[in-house]
Amino acid sequence: MSEMSREDLLDVVRRVWEQRDPVPDELVARMQAAAALAASDVDLELMELVERATSLAGARGATAYTLRFVYGDTDLLLRIAVEGEVSRVDGWIVPPQPMTVHAIRTAPNGREDSVVSDVGDSGRFVLVDLPVGQLQLRLEPRDHSRVAIATPAFEI
Amino acid sequence: MGVREPVGRTTGAAAVPASGAPPGAAPRHGGTDEPWAQAADRFARWSDGDPAALDDLVRLMTPVLWHVVRAYRLPADVAEDVIQASWLALVRRRDAIRDPAAVGGWLTTTARREAWRVHASRERATPVEDQHLAPRLPRQTSAETEVVAHEQRRALWDAVDALPPRCQRLLRVVAFTNRPDYAQLAADLGMPVGSIGPTRGRCLAKLRVALIEAGEC
Repeated sequence: MSEMSREDLLDVVRRVWEQRDPVPDELVARMQAAAALAASDVDLELMELVERATSLAGARGATAYTLRFVYGDTDLLLRIAVEGEVSRVDGWIVPPQPMTVHAIRTAPNGREDSVVSDVGDSGRFVLVDLPVGQLQLRLEPRDHSRVAIATPAFEI
Repeated sequence: MGVREPVGRTTGAAAVPASGAPPGAAPRHGGTDEPWAQAADRFARWSDGDPAALDDLVRLMTPVLWHVVRAYRLPADVAEDVIQASWLALVRRRDAIRDPAAVGGWLTTTARREAWRVHASRERATPVEDQHLAPRLPRQTSAETEVVAHEQRRALWDAVDALPPRCQRLLRVVAFTNRPDYAQLAADLGMPVGSIGPTRGRCLAKLRVALIEAGEC
């Protein structure tokens, strides 16, 4: 056999690594989901923070505050209660409309994950046991002709 | 227009000419421009508003990114974080990529920079733990041909294993990327940029000798 060319040798390198350190199952699917989620963010309409009020609840450093975001005719009120490392978010959308709320958390390493909550007829939703850190809420109307909106990322 | 990568520059001295695959070689990553051309096409379609093209682009390039990032000996979960960060960066900074032909190089360079950064910070934080890659051999059958194929595969693995770690990393990155950014690669490997080309040549020569000794060519 004639001497292997550079390309032949690199082909050996590729084959060896493809065999001994193969791409994990589902990695592609997970990356597709992450990319699609990020891409949907890009097309979001951003709500504006119009009000922020802090009330110290006192006991053992627990705090609570409210945020109000507006986009067009839609108002989003959030009451955030932080106790230690976890927080609870009570949300209220006015006027009420059928929506899904995605709470997207960004960990310090840049990894994202999301918690989903449905908005009932009352316009209310609850997110519990959220770790403190960066959070963004994305509101997706179940009526797909309506645009999805999102809050800016905020710290809890 | 050639592929431009987001950081650094390929210097004239170290520039690699685009190489056509030899006749009969599988049209695989790195060896030809084909996956990069496909990536460019998918990126262009996505930019034009086809969301499915992003899925296709992720499917095409994630395996390439896996091998590039794992060349830095990061554990699987850390490697996955690096790959995900690269995809998020692409989505969020897509406007920065003016020429779709650059997308393959942009992605692999972004992933490699982040892999290097994480690798370096881990080395500082903890003693180097040599990540043992458990050999994953296919199930053996009793057929003699299988045994022969198995032994050949083993010989190829051993030949790659026998390379110095720096050679292993350099060749893995080069094998899976089309035209790696030599300036950045040199910085990552702690080598002068002008020595990347010669080092790659020496690494390939070592591999060739190891394969000849193993009777593989």
